[in-house]
Amino acid sequence: MKPSANPNAARNESAPGKAGDADPPYFATNTVRLNLRQWAFVGGVILAIVLATPCLWKHLERFDIGTDYRIPYDLSKDYWLFQRRMERLDNPEQVVVIGDSVVWGEYVLPDGTLPHFLDRETDATNRFINGGVNGLFPLALEGLIRSYGGPIHDRKVILHCNLLWMSSPKADLQTEKEEKFNHPKLVPQFSPRIPCYRADANVRLSNVLERRVTFFGWTEHVQTAYFNQNSLIDWTLADDGGLPPKFPNTYNNPFSQITMVVPAAPVDDPLRGPASPRHKPWSTTGEGTSRFDWVDLDTSLQWGAFQRLVNLLRERGNDIFVVIGPLNEHTMIPENRVVFRKLVEGVRERLDAEQVSNFAPEVLPSDFYGDTSHPLTEGYALLAKRLFEERQFKEWLEAGAESSP
Amino acid sequence: MLFHTWPFLIFMLVVMPVFLALRRTNFWIHWLLLASYVFYGWWNPYYLVLVAYSTALDFFIVLLMDYCPRDGTPVDVRGRLTRLRFDNAVLKRAYLICGAGALASIGVAAFGEATLRPMMTGLALIFLLMTWGALFSHRKTWLVVSLINNLSLLVFFKYAEFFTDNLNYILHNWLQVTTSFPEPYTLMPFGFDYLLPVGISFYTFQSMSYTIDFYFGNIHRERSLVRFASFVSFFPQLVAGPIERASNLLPQFNSAPPIRRQDVADGLSLFLVGLFKKLALANYLSYYVDRVYDDPGSYNASALVLATVAFAWQIYFDFSGYTDMARGVARIMGFKLMLNFNNPYLATGLGDFWSRWHISLSTWFRDYVYIPLGGNRGGKLLTYRNLFLTLLISAIWHGAAWTFVIWGALHAVGCVVTRELERSEFYRERVPRFAKQLMVFAFVCFAWIFFRALSLDDALLVVERIFTTAWSDPYCPALMLGLMATIWLYQFFYESHWRPWLQLKPVRVGLAAGMILYLLLFSSEGGAFIYFQF
Repeated sequence: MKPSANPNAARNESAPGKAGDADPPYFATNTVRLNLRQWAFVGGVILAIVLATPCLWKHLERFDIGTDYRIPYDLSKDYWLFQRRMERLDNPEQVVVIGDSVVWGEYVLPDGTLPHFLDRETDATNRFINGGVNGLFPLALEGLIRSYGGPIHDRKVILHCNLLWMSSPKADLQTEKEEKFNHPKLVPQFSPRIPCYRADANVRLSNVLERRVTFFGWTEHVQTAYFNQNSLIDWTLADDGGLPPKFPNTYNNPFSQITMVVPAAPVDDPLRGPASPRHKPWSTTGEGTSRFDWVDLDTSLQWGAFQRLVNLLRERGNDIFVVIGPLNEHTMIPENRVVFRKLVEGVRERLDAEQVSNFAPEVLPSDFYGDTSHPLTEGYALLAKRLFEERQFKEWLEAGAESSP
Repeated sequence: MLFHTWPFLIFMLVVMPVFLALRRTNFWIHWLLLASYVFYGWWNPYYLVLVAYSTALDFFIVLLMDYCPRDGTPVDVRGRLTRLRFDNAVLKRAYLICGAGALASIGVAAFGEATLRPMMTGLALIFLLMTWGALFSHRKTWLVVSLINNLSLLVFFKYAEFFTDNLNYILHNWLQVTTSFPEPYTLMPFGFDYLLPVGISFYTFQSMSYTIDFYFGNIHRERSLVRFASFVSFFPQLVAGPIERASNLLPQFNSAPPIRRQDVADGLSLFLVGLFKKLALANYLSYYVDRVYDDPGSYNASALVLATVAFAWQIYFDFSGYTDMARGVARIMGFKLMLNFNNPYLATGLGDFWSRWHISLSTWFRDYVYIPLGGNRGGKLLTYRNLFLTLLISAIWHGAAWTFVIWGALHAVGCVVTRELERSEFYRERVPRFAKQLMVFAFVCFAWIFFRALSLDDALLVVERIFTTAWSDPYCPALMLGLMATIWLYQFFYESHWRPWLQLKPVRVGLAAGMILYLLLFSSEGGAFIYFQF
């Protein structure tokens, strides 16, 4: 074909696949014009890729979990990885400990967490699995388990209930003013309504889709694991945060970032562990001045989510044991402590009414806490010890062991 | 509602089945209108009132114009005034209604809520003019009413702030007068927010073209208000064009269009390319462009040049991507919208550029401004004056800022120069086509500086720094440069003898699959389209 002398002629196209079938001019100024059969073919190819890639990726990408594995802090938003971690549970006797950063271990190293000390109490290794994710709260936890927690069905689960999320209407996400919070993709997008969550309909629908379509979860995994939680193209533009900014990735090959090994947590985490400056008691005097505006359980969004989560886990055949707190009551003024204890009683009553095994451990010594809710290493050790001293917990655990094949 | 968002997909999943089901009835057009109003009201339901008002007014203006004699036969004005003796009942009714409307508007303006006064005064003026038009059976008056109404809405919402700022500056600083023109937001009724209604430039132009075309006898009067309202508010092209002509789109609304399988396939093809242009290309480029243009003083020549070139592609992909999607959606429903972009960066002259860029707007200005001004019928100087005026008005259409005025003036100069160059045999025959394309592209990019800069000072700073600062690392991602180069090459191939290679079935299918995969894997979240602000 010779170059067209008449530019208008270049715009005329016959229908694809039908030579000579005259079509109105000005279809487009590109050649991407398919017929329905070709579209069906493209759709099939894309569908195959969308379905196959995440499965294939699991086989190709190295994911070392080892002992006391917990999702690295930087991968806290990699929910697909959480699911993959849970798929790696091989022993039916393994007990998953689910919760927020209290379970994950905000100030401690992997060998200083509650699951680690629970293991130690039973002289086992990797019997108690750290299913904590940093920054989760009940509304997000419910979303995480609903969308990515399928693999933990039909096994024992220790569910941590952190009442700090009910310590004020703001923490309970009840306020009307827009708030930014962690894990917005996991909270209910439409119902129940979260007043302070103001994402537009497109974002909400995107979040729903991401949770339902594995492929989107996988793309998030790739972005989180290899591109610093950026899309590939954002990564090429990322700056180093300095002044004046530098752009280290400008000329780097983005595909070389994909090492096919899930990044592990740093071996020497300077922010965590007994050697870290953050790993210190919350107060030198041990006296608190906090006054929390505890919310009513009947109206609490977080408690509502927690209850739904309990029901969901039960529907999936999980045997649940709820550990309530222990929150650092030392931070509170005495009157506030009284209100808090009533709240704990209320939670226990409701769980008892639902016949959910539960335990509210006694508050730990003041210097075993790093802040209002996170124990330090010694705190976790003591908490694990207290759990095993609790008859109900031991019965719950042993009942599982006896009934397991 | 944006085409590249999930709510739009849901919207289409609701609209299409009902549209298909109603195609055998007369209600499909009502459904289309409802869908269009929902689509537009998604942004701000209050501004639907403006669309409906413009639509109704232009519809009835043309109806009344149709009852006025074309030959300008004199009418018995005294008889009409004193004894209401009209030879046409429709005009008589219009006279009475408009007169009553004028009185009511004046009454409300005088004694009603204070915030209603400006709006009611304007409305009273429109009613008075309409009363005049009915009284004298004067077709031109009806045309003037339509133009005043549409343009005053456009001017108020789009340019009032610019004018008041500049006029107040002149009053205070040059004339040393302490009085000021009121800020436009103070004129809003009931204290509503003063916001630019999305797409106002597009739908007012589309509506106006109907009255102008009818006035000049180019089209017949549309007898159905619903059909006309659907034409003005047809959702695929309501907010950012293409600005369709009544002669092209209205006949398509006469009956439910047939939807062939190839229409659906074509619609999908157009939509995919548009989506790719917006999400994969325009959005990516925008990050670099924004970074540089938000703080041009911190970047040197190489970064400023690359950001300017990137902006040239960004705005092209953003706008042409939108129109591709609009055309795709319309095509899926069986409607055919006009081509709006034709590889503009392959133009060999500025005139050629404007015949390839935003074609629906260029032809609108050609037909309704350039030709009425005299076009090229009055010799070289008059032709250039007309060209200059048309391009200046076209530039101001884009926005109320001096930077747009300069952008338009630059294009006008460019048009004149390339037109003159084309007259020389050497330029026409000897200068290679590629060199002309490069020159035009470079000039267009230079003009884009004024279009993109946040202020005139910024634009001048960019120009100054391009010529005075060093060429060092621009920190423009290699991937971005590669994409720009690939697209440019694609366009060259498209208009070359290599095009059959691009038309090969595996290439087309591969490109479509590749674009979808790219979008699934790499695209960032989409923002609004640049041309929404116009």
